[in-house]
Amino acid sequence: MPPTDHLRVADFGTVSPLRSQTLWHAIADGVSAGGPPTLSFLRPRRPYVSIGYHRRMSEVDVDECARRGWPVYRRMVGGGPVYLDDGQLFFQITVPMRAVPPSRPRALRWLLAPVIDAYRAVGVDAEIDDRLEIVVGDRKVCGYGAGQIGDAAIVVGNLIETFDHDAAAAVLRVPSPEARAELARLMRRYVAATPADPAAFRDAAIAAFAARLAVEPRAGELTGTELTRLDELDRRFVDPAWLAGPDRPAPAAWQVKVRAGVFAFAASDGRTTIMAGVDGGRLVGVRLSDPTLNGATAAVQSSLLGLDLASAATTLENSGAGGRRLSSLLRLAEPRRS
Amino acid sequence: MNPEEDHPVSDLTIEGFAVRADLAYDLERHMWVADRDDGRLRVGMDTLGVETSGTLAHLDFVDVGTVLERGEPFGTLEAEKFVGPLVAPVAGVVVAVNTAVTDDPGVVEREPFDGGWMIEISPSAGATDIAELVRGVDAITERFRARVAEYRRDGVLAE
Repeated sequence: MPPTDHLRVADFGTVSPLRSQTLWHAIADGVSAGGPPTLSFLRPRRPYVSIGYHRRMSEVDVDECARRGWPVYRRMVGGGPVYLDDGQLFFQITVPMRAVPPSRPRALRWLLAPVIDAYRAVGVDAEIDDRLEIVVGDRKVCGYGAGQIGDAAIVVGNLIETFDHDAAAAVLRVPSPEARAELARLMRRYVAATPADPAAFRDAAIAAFAARLAVEPRAGELTGTELTRLDELDRRFVDPAWLAGPDRPAPAAWQVKVRAGVFAFAASDGRTTIMAGVDGGRLVGVRLSDPTLNGATAAVQSSLLGLDLASAATTLENSGAGGRRLSSLLRLAEPRRS
Repeated sequence: MNPEEDHPVSDLTIEGFAVRADLAYDLERHMWVADRDDGRLRVGMDTLGVETSGTLAHLDFVDVGTVLERGEPFGTLEAEKFVGPLVAPVAGVVVAVNTAVTDDPGVVEREPFDGGWMIEISPSAGATDIAELVRGVDAITERFRARVAEYRRDGVLAE
């Protein structure tokens, strides 16, 4: 149970991209230090990119972001690089770690259940699927990340009122224009906006989280300690060393998750190239290039659609030398990363 | 502390979870600790910790040479888009990290006691925290079983 009798509610309105990250990190420090559980809301004034704690900066097309004037910030919670703009209302629920179940999947379901209540209160038939994605049908309608900051657990998510799929695809590094097109196609297919009334969503979320925590909601602001921490975080988040993140080896192939279980994939050995869209382990889009396939490319591509990754690799192995090269490349796909 | 002297190496299954009786455990932090011949302690995550983490996506460890107190983070783990600290079960200096698991966190799920080790620590001289670890077949079985029962009672694990 939370240590206090109320849920602090902090609605920051529209803020700078930097503050749209650092505000809730400061709150997490405050909750970790004994502050009340807090539900906060904000909206970034202009577009930017946020990258998850463990992710490589090489996943972001930093040149394109710079060209568009969109900053990039590294957050302390999980998930991949994402595009954010003022068409998305962001919420953050921050509670003491001891209040949540000591199992990540259970903790997420516990913290996301009030979000589902809020969606349904505004007429969106959302649910949490088996992969812990918030969906309507098979389309993701909420991006979220979670983390433990000190002794606080936080989940950050968004009500997507409008979504610029092309911008979301543009900020990610891709190996080719075709890969970007496939990525954008998958995003349009599997990520949907839910243009609900944001004020009604906010009010419903406040009621749902207060009920979950069995406390009364109460409007609140940052404490002096949190404001001091906010200044520190403002400096840290623009520090190139923080933005660079951990030094991790690059994967053997390019892969971008669109929603849980759905990813775009591409690999090349310089002579042979494969690009694919994968949903639930099955190929939903394939583009092959190998000089030895000659006129058979289209037929081979068609034969792979709908196959699971292992079967597709086996099929390619039976398609000559080029097929064997393609099979080796396809085996670099990592469904567990999706 | 050398569990191999006190007990034969043995693989146990406790409430459906694989447990090695030749290791010592910090069951609050879900970490196992193994003696190395050179005085180092090897640290990894126990199977209950693996189960409650979800699918491991990323691991990151502090640098070799980092001095740790018991209870301090020695790294971070991301599973289900949830980032959290990995907490040291004993105090000491980090003398090795396992890059095989940072490259492929799935190794921790597949081989939690072998290839899935995380860091090695040179324990602090005179440290008493090592004595607080759970060791021995009887104690491990009792405490591990109690932990699983607690998690099932609280709905953390399925019945």
